[in-house]
Amino acid sequence: MARKLAKFASRALAGGLLVLGSTALVLAADPIRIGAPLSLTGSLADEGSKEQQGLDMCIDAINAKGGVKVGKEQRKLEAVKYDYQSETSRAVQLVQRLVTVDKVDFLFAPYGSGDTKATAVLAERYNVPMVATSAATESVYDQKQKNLFGILFPNRAMAEVEVKFYKAKVPQAKKMAVLALNSLFPKAFAASVRDTAAKDGFEIVFDGLYSPGTMDFANVLTQIKAANADWVYATGYIQDLILIRRQMANFGMNIPIVTMTAGAAYPEFAQNLGALADNVTTNAWWHPSATYKDSYIYGGAQEYTQAFQKKYNKIPTYLEAAATSGCEVLALSIEQAGTVEAEAVRKILASRRFETFYGPIKFGPSGQNEINSPMILQIQKGKYVVLEPQSSKTGELAVGVRAQ
Amino acid sequence: MLAQYIANGLLIGSLYACLAVGFSLIYGVLSIINVMHGTFVVLGAYITIYCSQYLGISPLIAALIGCAIMFVFGYLTQRFLINEVVAAPIFISFTLTFGFDLLLNNAMIHAFTATPRSLLLDYGSITVAGISLSVARLGAMVLALVLTGVLYWLLRHSQMGRAIIAVRMDRHAATLLGIRVPQVYAITFGIGTLMAAAAGGAMALVFPITPLLSGTFLGKSFVICVLGGLGSVPGALVGGFALGLLESFGAVAFGAQWSATVGFALMIVVLVLRPSGLVGRKGFE
Repeated sequence: MARKLAKFASRALAGGLLVLGSTALVLAADPIRIGAPLSLTGSLADEGSKEQQGLDMCIDAINAKGGVKVGKEQRKLEAVKYDYQSETSRAVQLVQRLVTVDKVDFLFAPYGSGDTKATAVLAERYNVPMVATSAATESVYDQKQKNLFGILFPNRAMAEVEVKFYKAKVPQAKKMAVLALNSLFPKAFAASVRDTAAKDGFEIVFDGLYSPGTMDFANVLTQIKAANADWVYATGYIQDLILIRRQMANFGMNIPIVTMTAGAAYPEFAQNLGALADNVTTNAWWHPSATYKDSYIYGGAQEYTQAFQKKYNKIPTYLEAAATSGCEVLALSIEQAGTVEAEAVRKILASRRFETFYGPIKFGPSGQNEINSPMILQIQKGKYVVLEPQSSKTGELAVGVRAQ
Repeated sequence: MLAQYIANGLLIGSLYACLAVGFSLIYGVLSIINVMHGTFVVLGAYITIYCSQYLGISPLIAALIGCAIMFVFGYLTQRFLINEVVAAPIFISFTLTFGFDLLLNNAMIHAFTATPRSLLLDYGSITVAGISLSVARLGAMVLALVLTGVLYWLLRHSQMGRAIIAVRMDRHAATLLGIRVPQVYAITFGIGTLMAAAAGGAMALVFPITPLLSGTFLGKSFVICVLGGLGSVPGALVGGFALGLLESFGAVAFGAQWSATVGFALMIVVLVLRPSGLVGRKGFE
């Protein structure tokens, strides 16, 4: 009898301890892990660190609130970060590792359209939802994948708005010169602009490509100068664009409109060029002066900008903002689904319209954001002025980029 | 237009020549391939930029400071690190400099970050007979000629220079004659590093600098030295101008995206047809 009692008591105790133990385990809930391949070294290191900062802004804000509400429990967000050194092959390897070894719940895409497209294949194969925050080229989303979600709206939308804007503002500009970096996004973007402009009546007097690592643009610029272009459109990443602008000044080129895409929207561009950056126009998928509101984190674009400035001592660009909002839509989807299970979260991501500080986001059938909110910017006296859209406008277009 | 293309080619060629002189010297005397060369150039550029920006001095003085610092750095590197393997097969020293380069490069990325940095001084450009010439690049041309000239004079007319040539001709005979070979090697390496730093100073005036440029600079140095003759210092000059002109016309003929390919293709042609380079002679400068 005593033995039976002892047996029962010890079993009850063991059971009780087990329940208590597992409750403790549940209370210290596992974090939700996002795999983030980042280009922290190599030619895209600048852009990679921006993405990291954007991601951290989101994770810090959400974890400060206690984490993401998954059903009844609060789970913190955790990023598993690896540096893929701006090498596409390494990005692919690391995404493979994140999925198979680290077993992350969700993925962030690497920087740029090219690397995003390369790694999206893995996300699809392993059925892990991947948020792409720095890929705007339409061809990235043409594989009918259901796991890829792109924050940036298509290149085409940006090109159309730009061409329409400049045609209306500077009707005397007829000749266009296009110079593109031979890499997925810059090449595709330039092609978009060129085709839209040609359709709209511009004469394309120069259309050329340059390789990454080009150290001298003297000859292409000599040709562009000889062609008497009114509008020079250059695409590339920040280093190339700085060099192109400098060499344009060397050749005494005075061009009415000079637009540079990807790179000119980052403050480092003006910092490196000083007065030469004046009147260069560019575009952005988002800008700190936007008026979007956000009920989940930060409250709105202005608040986000202030918080970012406080933490990193500089102004955020669309790159950081897109990275933050990418993580945000993931968290919102998890909360709505009540689970981190891929199928359920994917369903929400594909159908819901998100209102964030970055702007409204609604992923279309291809996975890319179908709400277009292009912004046209110009650097005036070292500061960015928003020229389009009307709702965020802070100044007028200044025509004429001079060789001081 | 043709004159402008030629001018463009020569101007970028002079920058290339600056780059390659130090590399060529080190290979010629020590018979090692200095993989750290690109990193030294970038380091020299950073010293120039920071001294100029924070001490407010002219880039020329800043570059000279950079040269002095890098000479000491190069001397010490060779004396205590590379000297251990200088007599070993070339692959060993190549691996050593490669490994050390990885360390240095990543240390720079850590210290300076990859954000491009520039000297915010614009010397503008002048127009001569309808041709636009950038003043900064003209300065680089002068620098390239000065560097090559000084080095040439040094090698022929100074005690240390004669010792360097002697060591290059025959290391063992030089030892027999009382020349302290490790010392000579160290000084040569130091001079090579100094030239890299000087090239870096010129680069700082023209390009936005990031640690990631070291690979580009090393690659170009290689091509130029092969074209002009590995180990020949005037060869670096010739190779630099040749590459500059080639890339210039290659860009016009095939499009800018092919200009680098044209350079490497020519390097292969030269390696096959005339391995000693356009100017180099087999064995000695």
